Amino acid sequence: MASDYDVEFVERTEREARILVRGITPAFANGIRRAMVADVPTLAIDTVRFIENSSVMFDEQLGLRLGLVPLTTPTPEEFGDDDVVTLSIDVEGPATAYSGDLVSSEPDLVKPADENVPIIQLKDDQRLEAEAEAVYDHGKNHAKHQGGVAVGYRHLQRVTVDGDLPEFEEEESQIVRGVIEDDGELIPTSEFGHDLTERYPGKDVTVEDVPNAFVFHVETDGSFAVEELVTRAVDSIDDRAAELEDAVQL
Amino acid sequence: MMVPVRCFTCGTVVAEHWEEFEERAREGDEDPAEVLDDLGVDRFCCRRMLVSHTDLVDVVSPYQ
Repeated sequence: MASDYDVEFVERTEREARILVRGITPAFANGIRRAMVADVPTLAIDTVRFIENSSVMFDEQLGLRLGLVPLTTPTPEEFGDDDVVTLSIDVEGPATAYSGDLVSSEPDLVKPADENVPIIQLKDDQRLEAEAEAVYDHGKNHAKHQGGVAVGYRHLQRVTVDGDLPEFEEEESQIVRGVIEDDGELIPTSEFGHDLTERYPGKDVTVEDVPNAFVFHVETDGSFAVEELVTRAVDSIDDRAAELEDAVQL
Repeated sequence: MMVPVRCFTCGTVVAEHWEEFEERAREGDEDPAEVLDDLGVDRFCCRRMLVSHTDLVDVVSPYQ
């Protein structure tokens, strides 16, 4: 692909963003989406040793709940690929054990991304004490390792005003979703209630897809920031392409 | 029994918002839809996780 790339943020917060990418094919856009969902490794609890569990839930159930808690994930290079992090939890009832009660062995690098996730509600004389090991893995193996949630993309849509509507014609609402381009200006459709007649009252408009321009909607589970997710996804495609090139060389 | 940690469909962490949702919409008298909008739970898959959940720990605990 020799055409020019252009990447632009339309909306951006720590965990959610809309990113416009120009000059990529639909196949490559989908490749990026799939890489974000399945190929970016994240840390998640994988093994739990229960020292005491007198709560109303079984060990296995609590193991699943602990696994699904997102953990902040440094890059594997920063950390070493096979390294494990130990997290321990010790809560005595009556109380609720939260993800924030997990104590990490590497508190600067790895800690629960959300502190308010209730793990289990403990009554009098009930106790949860456990040690857990978090490992790197890919989203394709288990949903708990999936860094990007609800990642998707749409074509950028160009709206052009053709003229006025006939005077006595009744206006019908025209719903579009995503981001529209009007004279080079990018406008998220949520700004006008996703209805073009709100923005162009009494006008006749045409909507067309802009070729090879895609608006990604990216959300992360808190393991890392949005930029980090996208760059790691693209890096993983790059690595696999290089690996393929090596493999087919004579 | 306890609120699911993540949305079954999309994987967003929803349990994070459970206690505030319970306090404001179940025990309080705010409109659940407005509370969910306020919490930033805006997809319907995630909203149903909180709306349809019942805590059963209190029901089960006498039978330990």
